[in-house]
Formats: sequence, C-alpha cells, structure tokens
Amino acid sequence: MMSLYATRRRRDVIIRVLCVAAAGFGLMWLTLILFTLLWNGLAGLHLSVFTQMTPPPGSKTGGLANAIVGSLVMTVIGVGIGAPLGLFAGTYLAEYGRHEKLSFYVRFINDILLSAPSIVIGLFIYSAVVVPMGGFSALAGSLALAVIVTPVVVRTTEDMLRLVPDQVREAAAALGLPRSLVIRRIAYRAARTGLITGILLATARVAGETAPLLFTALSNQFWSLSLSQPMANLPVTINNFVQSPYEYWRQLAWTGALLITLAVLALNIVARLLGAERKTK
Amino acid sequence: MTDLALMTAPSPAPVATRAKIETKNLDFYYGATRALNNISLQLAPNTVTAFIGPSGCGKSTLLRVFNRMYDLYPGQRAEGEVLLDGKNILVPGLDLNLLRARIGMVFQKPTPFPMTIYENIAFGIKLYENLSRSELDGRVEHALRGAALWNEVKDKLDASGLSLSGGQQQRLCIARTVAIQPEVILFDEPCSALDPISTAKVEELLDELKAKYTIAIVTHNMQQAARVSEFTAFMYLGELVEFAQTTRIFTAPEKRQTQDYITGRFG
Amino acid sequence: MSPSPFVFPCGARLVNIETRMKSLPVDRARALAAFRLGDASFYWLTRICALVVLCILGGIILSLMIGAWPAIQTFGFDFLVTRRWAPQLEPTPVLGALGPIYGTLVTSALAMLVAVPVGIGIAIFLSELCPPALRRPVGIAIELLAGIPSIIYGMWGFFVLAPFMTDHVQPLFIDLFDGVPVLGAIFAGPPSYLSLFNASLVLAIMVLPFITAISRDVFMSVPPMLKESAYGLGCTTWEVVRNVVIPYTRTGVIGGIMLALGRALGETMAVTFIIGNSFQISGSIFAPGTTISAAIASEFAEASGVHQSALILLGLLLFVLTFIVLASARLMLARLERKAGA
Repeated sequence: MMSLYATRRRRDVIIRVLCVAAAGFGLMWLTLILFTLLWNGLAGLHLSVFTQMTPPPGSKTGGLANAIVGSLVMTVIGVGIGAPLGLFAGTYLAEYGRHEKLSFYVRFINDILLSAPSIVIGLFIYSAVVVPMGGFSALAGSLALAVIVTPVVVRTTEDMLRLVPDQVREAAAALGLPRSLVIRRIAYRAARTGLITGILLATARVAGETAPLLFTALSNQFWSLSLSQPMANLPVTINNFVQSPYEYWRQLAWTGALLITLAVLALNIVARLLGAERKTK
Repeated sequence: MTDLALMTAPSPAPVATRAKIETKNLDFYYGATRALNNISLQLAPNTVTAFIGPSGCGKSTLLRVFNRMYDLYPGQRAEGEVLLDGKNILVPGLDLNLLRARIGMVFQKPTPFPMTIYENIAFGIKLYENLSRSELDGRVEHALRGAALWNEVKDKLDASGLSLSGGQQQRLCIARTVAIQPEVILFDEPCSALDPISTAKVEELLDELKAKYTIAIVTHNMQQAARVSEFTAFMYLGELVEFAQTTRIFTAPEKRQTQDYITGRFG
Repeated sequence: MSPSPFVFPCGARLVNIETRMKSLPVDRARALAAFRLGDASFYWLTRICALVVLCILGGIILSLMIGAWPAIQTFGFDFLVTRRWAPQLEPTPVLGALGPIYGTLVTSALAMLVAVPVGIGIAIFLSELCPPALRRPVGIAIELLAGIPSIIYGMWGFFVLAPFMTDHVQPLFIDLFDGVPVLGAIFAGPPSYLSLFNASLVLAIMVLPFITAISRDVFMSVPPMLKESAYGLGCTTWEVVRNVVIPYTRTGVIGGIMLALGRALGETMAVTFIIGNSFQISGSIFAPGTTISAAIASEFAEASGVHQSALILLGLLLFVLTFIVLASARLMLARLERKAGA
C-alpha cells in the first residue's frame, strides 16, 4: 500500500518537475526573442528612421519612412475592405442565416480561409490581380491583406453576435423594430466592444504579414503613394535586408522588426483592454 | 353567470364582438410537435387575463402567438385564427412590425437595450414619430411616470439602462413598451426574476395599466394571478382546460384538473 | 347584442381608446414603410457579403488551378514523385515536388514533436502548478507572443538560433548518435547553419505560444468541482490532470494542436531564411532542405513559364495539404464529440 503510494508520489513529482522545466524552457526562448529584438532594434532607433527613405545598397544613412507609410497605407486599405466584408458576412451567419444551409457552407469555407497559408493568398492575388493589371501594385498588396482580414472578422463577428441573448432581439422585435434595425441598433451595440476587438486583432494579424506581399505589393526603394505602383512596406523591406551583406541594412531590419512588433503588441493590448472592459460591464 | 360554463369547454366559444383578441381553434407546432391544441378564447379589452398552468403547458407559447414572436424562428407555425379587433393576424403577408407595435411584450428577464435610460425609451418612439426634442422629453417622462420609474431615474437619464437594479430594469422595459402606445401588452412571467418588493411595484403597475391597455400575463405564481387578473385561463398539456373569471377559477373551478392545480395537488 | 361571457369593468372608456387607436396605426404604417427599403437592402448586403466569402475560396482554387495547369500538363502525376528540381534545364525543365513536400512534412513533424509536449507542459504549469501571482502575467505574455509576426521569429532564427545550434547543439547530437543504426543517419553531420533541424526549431518556438494559449484556455474551463472531487479521492496533481483535466478537454487540445500544425505546414517567413532552399532530399535533419512555402517565397519572383506554373502547383498542393489537416481535425473532433455524447 505504502509503496504504491510512494510510486504515485514519485510520478507526480517527476511530472511536476517536467512541467516547470517545460515552462522554463519555453519562456526562456520567448524572452530571448524579445530581448534580442529590443537590444538590436533599439540600437538603430533614431529619428532618421522615420524621416528618411530606405537606403540603396551600401549606403550608411537612410531610414524606413517610405516602408512605414506604405505598411500603414496597405494595412488601412486592407482592413478597410476586409473588415466591413467580414462584419456583414458574419452578421448574415449570426442573424439572418442562422438556420440556413448557406450559412453552414460559408462557415466551413471561412474556416478553410482562416487556416489557408498566407503565401497561397499571395499566389491567388498574383494570379487574380497582379497579372491582369500588368504589374505589382500597392492595391494588390492591400487586397491580399483584405483576404486575410475577412475570415478573421467573419469568425469574431459571428461569435460576438451570438453572445447577444436572443431575448434582447425579441424585446427589440416586440417594439415593432424591423429586423435590420434590431441588428444595427441593438445587436451591434450590445456586441460593440467584441466587434471592435475582433477587427483590432485582425489588424494586428496582417500588420506583420510578409508572405502575401512578396509578390503582390513587392517593395519600392522610393517614396510612392500610388496604389497602382509597387509600394514599400516594412515586412518585405525586412525580408530583403535580413539576408543582405550590408551591416546598415541588417540594422534597419532589426529596427523595422521592433517597430512592427511594438505596433502589433499595442493593437493586441488595446484589444485585450477592450475585452476586459466588456467583461466587467 | 351561467354563461361561464360555455367558456370552460375547449369547444367553439361564442363570438364576442368586443373582444380585443380572440383565438379560434388555434393549434401551434414546434416542428412536428404540437404545443397548443385547439385553443379558443377571448381577451376582453381593458382587463387583465392571467394564464396559469404547469411548465410546458403552452401558456408562454400562446402569448408568443399573439404578437407572432414565433416568426423569428424557423419550423414554428400556428394554425387556426387569432383575431385582433376582428382581423386575423395569422394571415401571411401581415406587417409584423406594425402588429408588434400594437401588441407590446414584456419578458421574463429584464431586457434593457445597451444604451442610456433615456435612449431606451426614446428609441422606440423615434422609430414611429418625428418629434422635437422637447416633445420627446415629454413623452419619455410620461412613459417613465407611467411605469412608476420616473422618480427613481429622473436625475440619471443618461446612465446606462444596464446600471439599474433588476426591478427597475423591468419597469424600464414596461415604460419602453408603453411609450410606443400599444393596444395590448403581453407579460411573460414578468416578475419571476424579481424580488418581492419589485414584484409588488410591478403588480401595482399592472392595475394602473389596465385602464388603458388590454393585458395578458403568464405567471407561475397563482397568488399573483389571483391578485392582478379579472380572468384566468388554466392550461395543461397544450389544452385550455378552463377559462373564467378569476374569482370563479380560484373559488369554484368547474374542472377537476383545475381544482387539483389550484390546491397544489400537482404541477 | 351578441352573447358575451365578459363583464366589462370599464366599458365606458372603451370608446375613447378605440378612437385613439384609429389615428395611430396609419402613422406607424407610414413610418415603418420608410424602413422597408433599408431593411431589404441590409439583408441583401449581408447575404452578398456571405456569398463573397464563398467566392474568395472559389477564386483561390480557380486561379491556382489555372496557374498550375501548364505544370500539370507538363509533369502530370510525376510531379509528386520526382526528386529533381532543375528549372534551367533545356529544352524543358524537370521539376518535382518531392523535395519541398518532404521538407514541409519533416519540419512540421519535428516542430510538433517539440512544441506539443512543451506547450501542453506549460499549459499544465499555468493552470495547475503556477503561483496565482504569476498566472496572469505569464498567460498574457504567452498570448501576446502568439501574435508576433512570423518574420520576427524567422529573423531571430537566422541571426541568433541558427548560429548557436550549429556551433553547440548539432555537434552534440552528431557525436552522440555516431555509429548508431538509423539514428546515426538521421543525425548525420556535418553541422549546418541552414538546415531542416534549425528551421524546425524556429517553427516549434513559433507555434509554442499557440498550443499553450489554447490548451491553457481549455484546461481553465474544467469545472473546479470536477477537479476538487478528484483531489477529494486523494489524487495527485498529475493524476487529476491525467484522468480528469485531459479527458475533459481532449477535443479542445486536439483542436489547438491541429491549428498549430496547420500554421506550421503553411508557414513561410519563419523558415525561409534558415532552411537553405535545397531541393535535395537527404536523410539527415542537419542537411539543408526546403519547404513548399519557402520554395515559393524564394523563387517565385524570378520564375517564369512552366517554372512559375510549377510553383503555383506547389501552392495548390500546400492548400490541399492544410485543407486535409483541417478536415481531418474536424472529423476527429466530431467523432470524439459523438463518442462523448453516447
């Protein structure tokens, strides 16, 4: 009896030690990544990063201004297209089409899109937009990002609207509200913070996406705000600079990586704060 | 008084031209399951009619037929006739929003909308009428007074409706319903989530409201039915077992089943 | 007067009310009519958006098919079993997907081999063992890390992890298994900066926060009563986890692992810097290789003709692969749920 108990105790202790070790092991790598990123990124974080264009090969000056602006522009357009699309599609799934066969298919396909590799999205936009338009463009890049944003927003919108109790919808309908007003004025409002959180998280997701931009927006060493031209952006710039032999380019890559990470973390934190606010309400 | 005997049977009831709502041979189905069986009854104007019976007897279902709330869900359907002022509301193509504006509903759990107290009331009014700010203010105050809530909330109209207590929320929902001036108000167990003091306030309110509105109330609480209603319908397993004046139901019910339920022998 | 059972308590008031009602519904009908167009348009707006989601998938499949068609015509089924990748060969290039497919499967499998036990270990630590004061900050840190873009992991792997592994860890394994059958071949030297092994590790570290975050969430969802009653029987922490927590949360954990596997299979930027882009298949995990996504990322911009088409075909294969993972995960989950229900 006692020996059996001892075996059980021993096994428990071993597993506990393993779990703590796993936590230590995992957290060590993750802190290491953040530390390297901060260390290397901060080293190159000067004002010139925000004011100067990406440098030509070999240059010892230059910044990321065009890449930062390009990333902002494409992210905003991508979210601007993808978020409303996802919001309305998610609304259909949660409200009008809850019991329709169509919703079943859309839901399933949306799951596939959610897990589709982002480089495949890049290939799709290359074939569907870049080739017909005759060249790489910021518009193509934005569309690629929109395709990634959409399924994320569809999913969160449906989930958040489903959290709104049916009784609230019934109460609104009992006042004689037309269905669209029940949704827009009542359900959206009740789910508002959740919906915003979903869009913020989708924005965070695409802010650092690289693979779908590699052959859609390409990159641009120069300042360009034209949507029909290739546009500089942080992720592809980093991708090009990382493997270069130029020390200054590598430094800029680290700084750019730090900027992206900070932006993504900020979006995540705002989303979390909003989520927490919702829960306390 | 002998006429009452006619009402006790689920057979076709005599036509009362002045009934506000009248059901004729009403059947209701959830998919293939029949939840209401051949219900025929009449709700008199400016009275409170209580529906009692054990859980699942169909009393809430019946209420949801009156404003066709069931239409929100697929697979639910009603057969027979429901007449509102003599017009059948089960006909296809009826404007449901218009119907629901005429027949208000208050739910079991308070359902304030996620907006301010003022907006909760003004929202429904603005839907139907273009009013100036001062007119709107007047209507909101009137509705809140009508729901005996004005004195409690007049200083915090901009607070969220969700910040009120449960009983206040329920009265806010009543005010919201009253604000759009319906003709009938349906109450679906309005006090089951409330404490006794709030319940008493809602019951007082019911007594005042019946001066203006026709009221139907579903309740689990037989004392409540006895206190607030003029007529009581006892339902069991989707059938209308007995329908008569409340005093009659509670003192001298015709049917054995009613008697058993009233005295707590089952249910 | 028609017979009525009712005794009207306030019949006098009735008249007033009826006259009042006559004026009201007319206005309301007009007010509601104003909404009718907006109501219908909103319905169609949402429905069309839902249909657009369907069309996006259709568009992806169609455009990949069209793009891949020349390669399918040229290579046919041989594409899947050919090891050689010679895009410059005249007159017709020889292109086979075996190398990238092999690399994709090996790196993902290795990554999961590391990330699943560690990730679940951390989740158990967080939900059962961690001091409460640490639980929230560590949990939030893990969730934030799950959101960091993959190119950051790729950079870090390129600059920090790969040199370290190549100089210190790989030689260790090579010496350890030297001469051992099978294992000796898997861990055959020489150490390489650009290798499947290094790429797998970066992938593992990247999906780790995913697995941890999802597993922790589902572990936390176990009702405390259930755990308490197991502790009440005298179970140790491990026995509670083993017999209560894991069975209760199995579907959620498997879902999380499958999600992570899908990420690993399709991941581009975390591996592309350090995998070496070699289409050779070598038995050793310390040798350079490539994955489907890395091959596309590094060659697509310069490719043309049948070479480009072959890369699109690779993309199609990757899409099919991730779809199979997702579909099998769903099937498995559905079966588990049915079993649990029965």
